[in-house]
Amino acid sequence: MLEKNVYESFMKIVGERNISQDPAVMDSYAFQWCNEIESAQRGDEPQRFGVRPLAVVLPASTEEVQSIVKACNEHKVTFKAFCTGMGPWAGVSDPRAIQIDLRRMNRIIEIDEKNMYAVIEPYVINAELQSELFPYGLMHHAQGAGPQTSPLASHTSFVGPGFTSPYTGFSGRNVLGVEWVLPDGEILRLGSFDHNGKWFTGDGPGISLRGVMRGWLGAYGGLGVFTKAAIRLFSWPAPKDWKWKTSGTIPEYNWDIPPFWKMFVLNFEEWEEYKAAMYELSDREVTMVATTSAPEGLAALFTNTKQEAIETIFAGLLAKTRNYIVMLVAAHTRREFEFRTKLVRLIMEKYGGNDLIEEGVTVPKPMHYGETVRNMLGGHAFRFSNCFQSTHGGMDTIAMAVRLAQLNQTVKQKYIDKGVIGDDRGLGVWITSYESGHMAHMETPTVYDPTSVESCLGYAAYQDECNQMDLDEALGMPFFIVGDDVHNFYAERTMHYADWIRKIKAAFDPNGVSDPSHYVKGDRKK
Amino acid sequence: MTLGEFEDMMDSCVRCSKCKFIPQLVIQSKRFSSICPSIDYYNFHAYSGGGRMITANAYHKGRVELTPEMLDVIYRCTNCGGCEVSCKWVYELEPNEAIHEIRVAAVEAGAGPMPKHKKYIELVERNKNPYGEDPEKRPAWLTDEITTNESSSTLYFVGCTASYRREEIAFATAKILNSAGEDFRLMGSDEMCCGSPVYRVGDQKKALEIMQANIEQFKETGIEKIITSCSGCYNMLKVEYPRFVKHDIEVIHTSQLIEGFLNEGKIKLNEMVPMKVTYHDPCHLGRMAEPYEKWEGEKIEVLSQVFIYDPPKPDRRGANGVYDAPRNVLKQIPGVELVEMERIREYSYCCGAGGGCKSAYPDFALWAANERLEEAESTGASTLVSACPFCGTNFRDGIESRESSMKYFDLTELVLRSIGGGK
Repeated sequence: MLEKNVYESFMKIVGERNISQDPAVMDSYAFQWCNEIESAQRGDEPQRFGVRPLAVVLPASTEEVQSIVKACNEHKVTFKAFCTGMGPWAGVSDPRAIQIDLRRMNRIIEIDEKNMYAVIEPYVINAELQSELFPYGLMHHAQGAGPQTSPLASHTSFVGPGFTSPYTGFSGRNVLGVEWVLPDGEILRLGSFDHNGKWFTGDGPGISLRGVMRGWLGAYGGLGVFTKAAIRLFSWPAPKDWKWKTSGTIPEYNWDIPPFWKMFVLNFEEWEEYKAAMYELSDREVTMVATTSAPEGLAALFTNTKQEAIETIFAGLLAKTRNYIVMLVAAHTRREFEFRTKLVRLIMEKYGGNDLIEEGVTVPKPMHYGETVRNMLGGHAFRFSNCFQSTHGGMDTIAMAVRLAQLNQTVKQKYIDKGVIGDDRGLGVWITSYESGHMAHMETPTVYDPTSVESCLGYAAYQDECNQMDLDEALGMPFFIVGDDVHNFYAERTMHYADWIRKIKAAFDPNGVSDPSHYVKGDRKK
Repeated sequence: MTLGEFEDMMDSCVRCSKCKFIPQLVIQSKRFSSICPSIDYYNFHAYSGGGRMITANAYHKGRVELTPEMLDVIYRCTNCGGCEVSCKWVYELEPNEAIHEIRVAAVEAGAGPMPKHKKYIELVERNKNPYGEDPEKRPAWLTDEITTNESSSTLYFVGCTASYRREEIAFATAKILNSAGEDFRLMGSDEMCCGSPVYRVGDQKKALEIMQANIEQFKETGIEKIITSCSGCYNMLKVEYPRFVKHDIEVIHTSQLIEGFLNEGKIKLNEMVPMKVTYHDPCHLGRMAEPYEKWEGEKIEVLSQVFIYDPPKPDRRGANGVYDAPRNVLKQIPGVELVEMERIREYSYCCGAGGGCKSAYPDFALWAANERLEEAESTGASTLVSACPFCGTNFRDGIESRESSMKYFDLTELVLRSIGGGK
């Protein structure tokens, strides 16, 4: 329990209604997906209940966040802020910590149509922002975590690839400026906003602090609280009078596909052809989506229930599917559409591919187009066992993504043979190119049973082996390095980068109150 | 089911927050993106479907006790089932079932339900209704112009709210039945509460006694078919009763019955009712109205760590609620223009009254009604229509509190007007 005077100091800031220290309410924050894996990796019994915060506060403004953070510094209480909060990185790690739930800060502050950016608060979710952007003919980059998660959280604090990455990049690349409550309670505004009140760039005037703010990985909420973010927008390839319209009843909704959209699933017999085609398709900027998974994953992408996915698998999908790319040509005009679709076919033919949609092997319904651009397809992977998590997480070249997929297969198969993880024949990957160039994100989604100790322990061992493989095979830096131990693991062979992160942490968080959780603890001053 | 039987399910929540929003494919605006009045009003994660499942799990595992604040978490929920519809888009979890079970556990532990609930349960036991009204006055709405047949095997089960608070619905229903030539009887002062307010707050023992007594009474009087104008009663009689008490009585809601009358030409909608209306799907007539189908089979591991049920388990995702019947009726009323809200059918936003909230947390219930009214107003409709007296009561309170120009009518009232029986 917090001391009475400390609790009251927080209560004065947010009001009685917006603070709680009830154990049951606290447990709803301590319980997180993947805690069972992290506890298994620590050698503890796998379980989802992690560290229970001493209190939860619900601020409504930047000023309230600032006051909370200052009070934390005064009373030596650590804090961790989060939005929708999915994963152990959202939770606290310090037994003397409070959780700052940013749910009440949910405004879209500004949509600047001409300069193509939006300024948002933490609890605006992807689906909401997307809905409000369509009337302007704009869209944003939504991270693969899903439509119910926060773009601000991803843009400021994670890497965040998504299904539209070939077109929109990844979250970390699209942040144009932030309002940031530093760990000591000072407010810092980065980017052009502080200079002229417009958020069109995240850098300057003067030196850029984006590297300090988030660097490559983001600080996972371990370096203060972001209360506003300006994010880059993109042209939405549909007429302005087109409306997001659904009809029907769950789970068979219908969705109005914009006029010049077409999906392809290009299938290539060998990885080499796949790789060459992926390079060329990305380089030619023909597709909004270029995503790859296992054949089992394809069964999940374009079905609406687990039963349907399983039936599709056993109906012969696997035999007809090799290395495929789900593509979405989404054009503004007929001419653009015809040009792009023609180019897709030419590239497919050049590398000896076939289109699984054209051949009727898989049939995306209109609603699956909608789910694709709303970043809902990643969630389909949860259908198999209510749970999955990913290993690796490379963001390097397309060739590196393929190499990683190939190397991973035998390791994964070993754990499949033990019966502790889902059987995708070791082929389960998620690859997406990004920024229409030669780069690709790759991770290996893996199904496990969170209610089985054996499965959790098995997955944890598999994860450790994958991390070792990253180093031994020189597979590049993962996009998901969480906590001091994992940073140390990779830093040893990567010029001890973590020492620099620790210096940043120490400089910005002199009292060590911003819960490092899945970031790093600060360097002690010598 | 008990909390223990739900443990694996509760352990499987990934805390993704999907339960706070309508199924994400159908989100059309930021303003009307949420599904759960409770998380919208109280904000702490524990007040969401997933959050409640976690607190129930924590209680089951002995991590927490039933503190006053935890009881608020448990009971500040309308039990509307919206969280479950959104959750089941991806997961095989049933948060609404877990919420019900933690309420049952709270009552068994002597901590629940809340004092206001205990009070109305006493009234149900004493007066057969939760309002404490005189049972003899239950049929006070009945006028000489209504004809009943006390030997009929069809019962119009009026329900407590239509009997004592929304008599106009009872009257309109009876008049429509007369117009269609549908023979029916009433239980009059012998009619007992369906048990919904008792069951919803977790007093399963007393709810079961009510269910058994009611079924016994129906059987003794030879009832083969029950008509209900209340969504709460409909849900109890059609969905919950068969889980606990065996019966083969047909249960039908007025919206379905009227649709049938129109199809068969038993009534004619001749009179103009010029108004632009929007329709609110009551939770208990919509997503919660799907019967629990008994399933027997086995769980088979088809791929490592991936299980399916053989034969497939019947889905209970809200797809098969009574959505089309009330709309089909509205569309046939001359002069009525139906416009839809953003949140409809299985992802309709709850009115805020259910689950014992109207009595124990009236501020919350009223706030939720106003949220829904704002959505109704945003359609440009002048009138909100629904098919549940309890929703109607809460909406009328909301309209008064926000001084809205919007009117509220039950579906039966508009039908009565159109057949020439009302103003």
